[in-house]
Amino acid sequence: MFSGLARVKGSVLPGVFIALGLLVFAFLLFFTLYTAQDSRTTPPIDSRIYGLLKFTLYQAFLSTVLSLGVGTLLAWSLAHQPGFKGRSVLVALFSSSLVLPTLIVAFGLIGIFGRNGWINQIGLTLFDYSFGSYLYGLFGILLAHTYLNASFASRSLLHAFESIPNEKYKLAKSLNLSTFQRFIYVELPALKPTLLSIGSTIFLLCFTSFAIVLILGGSPAYNTLEVAIYEAVRLDFDIALALKLALVQLAISTVLVIFSSNFRTGLGNLKTDDTVLPWREPKHLHYIQTTVILLFAFFFILPLVVIVVDGLDADFGHFFKDPLFIRSSITSGIVAVVSSLFTVIIALFLSDAKRNFTLEYRLGNSMFSRFFNLLISFSGNLYLAIPALVMGLGFFLMSQKFEMPMNIWSVLALLTANVLMSLPFALSVLGPVMQKTAQRYDKLAFSLGLTTLQRWVYCEFPYLRSSLGYVLALSFCFSLGDLGIIALFGSEDFSTLPWYLYQLMGSYRTDDAAGVALILLVIILSVFILLPKLFRSRLAENN
Amino acid sequence: MLKITDLKYRYKSIDDVYTYALSVKPKEIVAILGESGSGKSTLLDLIAGFLTASDGSIKLDERELTALSAEKRPVSILFQQHNLFEHLSVQKNILLGVSRTLKSSQKDILKVHKILKEVGLERYEHTLASSLSGGQQQRVALARVLLRREPILLLDEPFTGLDAKTRMEMLDLVQKITKENNLHTIMVTHELQDCERIADKIYLMKEHQLVEQ
Repeated sequence: MFSGLARVKGSVLPGVFIALGLLVFAFLLFFTLYTAQDSRTTPPIDSRIYGLLKFTLYQAFLSTVLSLGVGTLLAWSLAHQPGFKGRSVLVALFSSSLVLPTLIVAFGLIGIFGRNGWINQIGLTLFDYSFGSYLYGLFGILLAHTYLNASFASRSLLHAFESIPNEKYKLAKSLNLSTFQRFIYVELPALKPTLLSIGSTIFLLCFTSFAIVLILGGSPAYNTLEVAIYEAVRLDFDIALALKLALVQLAISTVLVIFSSNFRTGLGNLKTDDTVLPWREPKHLHYIQTTVILLFAFFFILPLVVIVVDGLDADFGHFFKDPLFIRSSITSGIVAVVSSLFTVIIALFLSDAKRNFTLEYRLGNSMFSRFFNLLISFSGNLYLAIPALVMGLGFFLMSQKFEMPMNIWSVLALLTANVLMSLPFALSVLGPVMQKTAQRYDKLAFSLGLTTLQRWVYCEFPYLRSSLGYVLALSFCFSLGDLGIIALFGSEDFSTLPWYLYQLMGSYRTDDAAGVALILLVIILSVFILLPKLFRSRLAENN
Repeated sequence: MLKITDLKYRYKSIDDVYTYALSVKPKEIVAILGESGSGKSTLLDLIAGFLTASDGSIKLDERELTALSAEKRPVSILFQQHNLFEHLSVQKNILLGVSRTLKSSQKDILKVHKILKEVGLERYEHTLASSLSGGQQQRVALARVLLRREPILLLDEPFTGLDAKTRMEMLDLVQKITKENNLHTIMVTHELQDCERIADKIYLMKEHQLVEQ
């Protein structure tokens, strides 16, 4: 169709090679885990593993239902209260839950609901009564998962609410539908795709949740597969059991990813507009919606306030002199920068290849386009099928097979896990923008005979700029705050800030831990807010 | 008669005041012409109760409507799109006009049959609204107007985007419905052709004022 189309074929290769490389990596990992099994020492799938699996699925299911319920209620309230003061700040704050490290959230929740938390302290001061340590167990896990995921879900759901045409609301009003009927006939159908998509993502995230369960689970009765793998490797040195658990986890995660891929839609760099309802909500609804927003804002902000208040009391001079803190900070910084750069580069190549296989006038009508599209989608979402601890175990076994200094294996494992963790989000942000840019400028670019570089400079970059900044910030924050694979590889020689914080918490150096948590929180929120501002482009925002 | 007297709407700034005055007799179709953003649809939103007027009155046969909330006004409205709930069948979309809970009597269902025949869609009663063409969807919305039997019909450019033949058919259907059901119909459009085909009176929105042509 276009004279310059031949060039497109060349630009497909890097993306296809990366996708194939990722799949080869996944196969190698599976092969390593599978062949490491020894039939003499490997335990059978017994009632203990069934118990772990049952609890893992149970907590993931409850967490998903709670997160979607609270997220929908919050999004509904925000959508119908466009005039709520500080609404845009709250929406931005809720969206930061995506990058809040799970370790920090757990730390903040312990500060409120823990044995020595604020609630017990208030109880003791006012009524000379303590509620004890009620946080640990299923309650704590559900609380933390709902904290993180309800706010994340509310952002996407708010976008879905605000995409409902005004005419639908006018129609509902003129048909005299009640608030409930309006929700059923007008709002729920519009929310359904987002609920399915976000629900399946939340379920997967909770199914593979590690740090929250490790810290707030409290006892083996509340272990998930991920935590059981960690304990088998680090505490019991039972590699045979870890292998069995990892293979079970891998099999179920893969099935879940394939099943849920039907529902998944792009995350996008969601910008929300105020819903312009032509009339005010009745007073009683106004009060309900305002109360919901205030309650959730309070619930969301309080753990962060605890971290700030407790953190400011810390003796910064004390741990600033600790060589392990300095090493951890440097390692975290370098790993986060390198991981985020790799994520962006890989996501750009994969998105470019994907748009070539999607757009009909490019290579979309070729025989293999569907196959390559699936290949790219699956390789980009590998992390959801291969959770951190399973990947970590694979790297651990490879390190024993192939001789290389352990630190190099650790860096390699950490970088791979970080890139794979950020990739699904990066692809869902960059993919749609790149596709839109191609649809808009292909005819012009091909007819002008622009080279790949010229095309990038004139057409792609100006429109991608904002999204690139967002993806860089997102993957930097994910990498900086993650306590996943480092839990297996962390040591005195190789440590990151989250690992250092976990060690402080484990050794009851609570004051120092509060200081490190505050530093981590400030860095992550600053990068998440400021980095996208550096890349802001009016052109991209208007399109 | 529907009588709108010195109806004012203040939009954003004090200087942007829209003033409307018009009257519509039963069986009459009044067309409002004007450029995009001139305030044509604002008049319909004011009559339907989606917006609140800062001054003036809307009366139907001497009954004051201005203070009534949207759901209490005797109005049916048709937009350019989004007139139906796409996940519901044609029958349920029409029934929503009389029963919010979709619990309907045999009498209501028979009425729906009859009305669907009138608008030429009897074969589509159990079809999902989303699988109908644009013209068919507007016919279903008109069928609901017939079932609701509200005396005021507001049309907010409902046939824009339809092919010429379908648009003419729809305009004729509106005329038939208006005459047979004693409706007071106000149609906002930017197509002079539409006005000439069915309008009894034409008003032009000019410099925030409604001027009779």
